[in-house]
Amino acid sequence: MRRAVTKILTILTSTLLGGCANPQFADLGASVLSATGYVDESQVKGFLAAGSKAIKSQEELTPEQEYYLGRAVSARVLAKYPPVLKPALTRYVNTIGRVVSGVSDLPETFGGYHFAVIESDEMNALSAPGGFVFISRGLLRRLKDEDSVAAVLAHEVAHIVHRDGVSAIANSNLFGALTDASRQAAAIGMNNSSIPVDLAPLTELFSTSVTDLTERLLVTGYDRSQEYKADEYAVELLRRAGYRSDSVARVLEIVQSSAATEHGGWFDTHPAAKKRIEELGHGDSISTDCPERAARFAAFVR
Amino acid sequence: MRNVVIAATLSIGAILGDAQAEPVWVQVRESVVRSAPKYYAAGVLPVRYGEKVERLSESAGWAYVKVRNIQGYLPLSAVSLDRIVLQARELGQMSADTSDVILAGKGFNKEVEKAYKSTDPEARFDLVDKVEQASKVSSTEVAQFRKAGDLP
Repeated sequence: MRRAVTKILTILTSTLLGGCANPQFADLGASVLSATGYVDESQVKGFLAAGSKAIKSQEELTPEQEYYLGRAVSARVLAKYPPVLKPALTRYVNTIGRVVSGVSDLPETFGGYHFAVIESDEMNALSAPGGFVFISRGLLRRLKDEDSVAAVLAHEVAHIVHRDGVSAIANSNLFGALTDASRQAAAIGMNNSSIPVDLAPLTELFSTSVTDLTERLLVTGYDRSQEYKADEYAVELLRRAGYRSDSVARVLEIVQSSAATEHGGWFDTHPAAKKRIEELGHGDSISTDCPERAARFAAFVR
Repeated sequence: MRNVVIAATLSIGAILGDAQAEPVWVQVRESVVRSAPKYYAAGVLPVRYGEKVERLSESAGWAYVKVRNIQGYLPLSAVSLDRIVLQARELGQMSADTSDVILAGKGFNKEVEKAYKSTDPEARFDLVDKVEQASKVSSTEVAQFRKAGDLP
């Protein structure tokens, strides 16, 4: 009997919290459930009122959800481009990454920032929601100094701060579906029921979101305006961190000089470097070259 | 001298902040309350996902907070105005006028990732785990790195 009541309460609550919270239904539900003797009417009404008012209608992904989305997109990226797991190089790139992400407007993500060098001769760098940043060995090899590495990482951090990845998800039902899932989970959880949340629709939604975003990162690229804004913000991050702020333009010049002979990576997914330099300008730089930075770049990258 | 400046900053923040204290919740897995509104500032207290803190004031992307009788700074992006509930059963104990709630671990989560893995065997979550594991760098290392590299 108790199991049956539990199931009824869960289904009723789930329905009410799932978007059809008509007060008449709530009153009816409360009467029916209180008649079982396991709960009184006021308990049921309070239970329904608290839950239905409380669970927020989502208009954006929570940091936790961005993290899981970013993990899945990264799993697809790393299937194509495996990480270079050299401890010294990984630590070097991550420390630079932490320096630039730490001065950003999103210094902490749900699971933290993670920077990795990936196996690819293409000149490429990309990022996934939640703080995952990848730079190709091909691009790293062509850079001339630590400040340029910082510039590339800062550009990718900019996409994360601006949440460009999430905006690439085409599914217009995304936030409604996530809200429904939370309300369903709330109904089941509030009732301590063992009925599992139906993961199938959510997994389908997750899968299409991962596909949309992976295609955007690896094939079509972000909108031009998003790239220009990321360049501009990267300059600001370099300035805040104390790196040469003209390093974004210096990296773009390297990319531009290779445009005639190289393909793939940034050449397919980003606007032409020449156009990006025009948009950005060279700017000035208050920071000068530092012998220690030159020495550690030579030790870890060269 | 540096300690005096930090203490003065904290005191001024406390005086300014008490008038508009407001509860907020930590929305990152782990963070640390800092002695100054800078990412690289010394940590004074670790906080975890879903933990309630009192926001006393905010400025330039940082919240001045009080938690467990300790005051300091957290990035504004690390806290949520919406109440974060770790267990759904807590909802049943809330009053009907409870403010907006985010139910932790729902929506895209570990279970969804697990279900997704079975539909996409080529996705390399094992490599993502390795990247996450390999990318840990301590705040002390970052501080030394900045100092050695003449970064302010």
